[in-house]
Amino acid sequence: MIKRIFGAALAATVIALPAVAEYPDKDIKLIVPYGAGGGTDTAARLIQPHLEKVLGSNLIVVNMPGAGGTIGATNFAQTKADGYTLAFLPAGTAVVQPHLRKLQYNESSFEPVCRTIQEPVAIMVGPESEYTTLDKLMAAAKAGKVSAAGSAPGSFPHIGAVLVQKNYDVKIKYVPHEGGAKSARSVLGGKVDMLVDNIGLAAKFGIKALAVLSDKRAKSMPDVPTIDELGGPPIRLSIWWGLFAPAGTSAAVLDKLASACAEAGTSSAYISSVKAANKTPNFLGAGKFKALFLEQYKANATLFQEIGLKKK
Amino acid sequence: MIEHLPEAMSLAFSWHALLAVLAGSVVGVVVGVLPGLGSALGLVMVLPITFGLEPAAAIAVLVSVYACSIYGGSVSAILINVPGTPQSAATVIDGYPMAQQGKAALALGWATVGSFIGGMFSLVLLVLTAPQLAKFSLNFGPIETFALILFAMTTIAWVSHGSMVKGVLASLIGVFLGLVGPDQMTGQIRFDFDFFALSGGFALVPVLIGIFAMSEVLIQAAFLKDASAPTVIEGGFKLAPWHEWCIRWKTFLRSSVIGSFIGILPGTGATAAAFIAYADAKRNSPRTGNFGHGEPEGVVASETANNAVSGGAMIPMLALGIPGDGVTAIMMGALTIHGIVPGVRLFSDQPALVTSIFLLFFLANFLILIVGAAGAGLYARLLRAPMSLLMPAVALLSFVGAYATRSAPFDFTVAIVAGVVGFLLRLNGFPLAPIIIGFILGRPLEMSLRQGLVMTDQNFFAFALSPIAAVLFALTVVVLLHPVITKCISALRGNGSDSAKEMN
Repeated sequence: MIKRIFGAALAATVIALPAVAEYPDKDIKLIVPYGAGGGTDTAARLIQPHLEKVLGSNLIVVNMPGAGGTIGATNFAQTKADGYTLAFLPAGTAVVQPHLRKLQYNESSFEPVCRTIQEPVAIMVGPESEYTTLDKLMAAAKAGKVSAAGSAPGSFPHIGAVLVQKNYDVKIKYVPHEGGAKSARSVLGGKVDMLVDNIGLAAKFGIKALAVLSDKRAKSMPDVPTIDELGGPPIRLSIWWGLFAPAGTSAAVLDKLASACAEAGTSSAYISSVKAANKTPNFLGAGKFKALFLEQYKANATLFQEIGLKKK
Repeated sequence: MIEHLPEAMSLAFSWHALLAVLAGSVVGVVVGVLPGLGSALGLVMVLPITFGLEPAAAIAVLVSVYACSIYGGSVSAILINVPGTPQSAATVIDGYPMAQQGKAALALGWATVGSFIGGMFSLVLLVLTAPQLAKFSLNFGPIETFALILFAMTTIAWVSHGSMVKGVLASLIGVFLGLVGPDQMTGQIRFDFDFFALSGGFALVPVLIGIFAMSEVLIQAAFLKDASAPTVIEGGFKLAPWHEWCIRWKTFLRSSVIGSFIGILPGTGATAAAFIAYADAKRNSPRTGNFGHGEPEGVVASETANNAVSGGAMIPMLALGIPGDGVTAIMMGALTIHGIVPGVRLFSDQPALVTSIFLLFFLANFLILIVGAAGAGLYARLLRAPMSLLMPAVALLSFVGAYATRSAPFDFTVAIVAGVVGFLLRLNGFPLAPIIIGFILGRPLEMSLRQGLVMTDQNFFAFALSPIAAVLFALTVVVLLHPVITKCISALRGNGSDSAKEMN
């Protein structure tokens, strides 16, 4: 009996070994937890052909939208860690949602492979807004006259608005919208005063960025000052997208994926396609990305306690 | 615009692009006709293929799939009582009765020409006034959107046959189904009963497929006496005599205008546009009593309006980078991946490319006529298949469509349960269309109401301070009182109130 099990195990190893050596030898499923055509889907499909070329295997995008990306991420967390199911997750799904409500995944469910895009977050107003500077905007906010658009509470635009409110000690009326494009519509039309979201929206929708929430100016919009330069509090916020494997994926597969992503994510063809789409390519390799992922995951737990968004 | 025409023509009229338009039209009509597969799925399906194409050919595929899939939905709505796409849900109301009366070929003719006219009308608006109309659409904030959706809700009254109470009840079922899932105002999940699959809410396609397609399969299974007999409905393609068109020109025009504007404005979308146009046609037609019993105008209104949405929805999508609905959102993502970024700068940065998009969209609308007329013979053949083969095929396709929307096995269950519920409701004389109206409009109605209340510090009466909202509120009241008013007028004139009675 024991001999038989051993034999079977041995046979399995013999079969499994070349499979790992040749990874990938079949199509890879790429779970995108948002609908086709959205920001996350676009970001995923921008890197997809470049990864396919390097890996020599097809990457099949599977859109699993719903509930802030948590439906797709939960499904992903439960898949087999054989390297044939990967996910392309935005920061919100990966490091924010698990703090907002009970979910079947956490920071130890995923292996970060690489970050492909990182967008600095900026405070933005409509093109014809009377608040032409951050000072004017904050003075009006002090008087309780400013409203902010953004996605549902717990989203980055909401966290951004809450941080501004807290650090400037002002009162901002938060009007939730379904996604960035609809928020931008309200700001464009002057229905809502401001929006704290990724700076790519400024160029895309023709709205005006007043300050970047970073210590460095955005490469895509070097004319916009940082909040530090304007003498504001050091609020830091950025949004990223990255490639993930399920926890428990073998080191060999992870290495292969990490080097493939490094090659694809820094290729000039990829970088120019990302820039053309008004996004900021900002590659980060597996080691550093994992550290950032874990650090942000932990920091958000504390942050949400502070701003009063606790898990229900 | 004109000065870029030569360059745009060289982009759009290359062999690649022309072949791509043709292929896209065929794919579009096919996904439209097949229940469950619709515009959104058709676009997602061709998206990977477009990566290998040059931008003009890619655009050609996308616009032709989009335009032709909206048309394709009418075919199954007319022939088998199942809307092929959500956009054709209103076409069922008069399309299927026409088919039952042996006028399927005529109904297809009306639908095809209506789709063509609607598409072309909206294209003209897109070409001539896109930047201005895009700017106008920004006047619609949450408060105005609320007023618009409230107005759209009144259509429930016009599509509820038999019993108004049952129509309203059916719409409430739809509203409730729409409320399940994340509440965008608070980020909390509602009505999931701690069942994870419900936390994302219900998707439109599985619900629609269940209510219309699965319930039709069940009805046929339960009541068809001889399942092996071929379906009685004759397919084909026939245009009505000229004078029939002449007396209905107003419906073509009104539905084109309604569809285009609903497309431009946020909050409602093509399915609602078809219902709004249907209600408008029913109110204003001298043949009101015939609506619901196979009135060609019902088909015309619905199909003209839903195709008119296509050009309308492309206006904010191209000129502002803000998609009007889920379908244009996919188009926008696809264009972005091809390096064509819709938004304020597109028209000034890439005028030749924009012009070539217009040209290709023009071609795609023409192909509706050609592919529509050519395909009709094929549907006729398909319908000679016995019900015992046709209905299982419909069920199978429905499952594919239900699953494909978001790759969730849970959606099989949704489609089956919705099918049984739809079956029971039909047995008891409930109209099905209000369920879909409630489902697609309930959630945005609530969302825009709550957004508006945040903006006005919880003062609902401040909504009326917006001139646009005030006009829409007034329209809503007028439309709701319309039957009463007509009744009073006829009573004053001293003649019978036949037309008013038909209203309910």
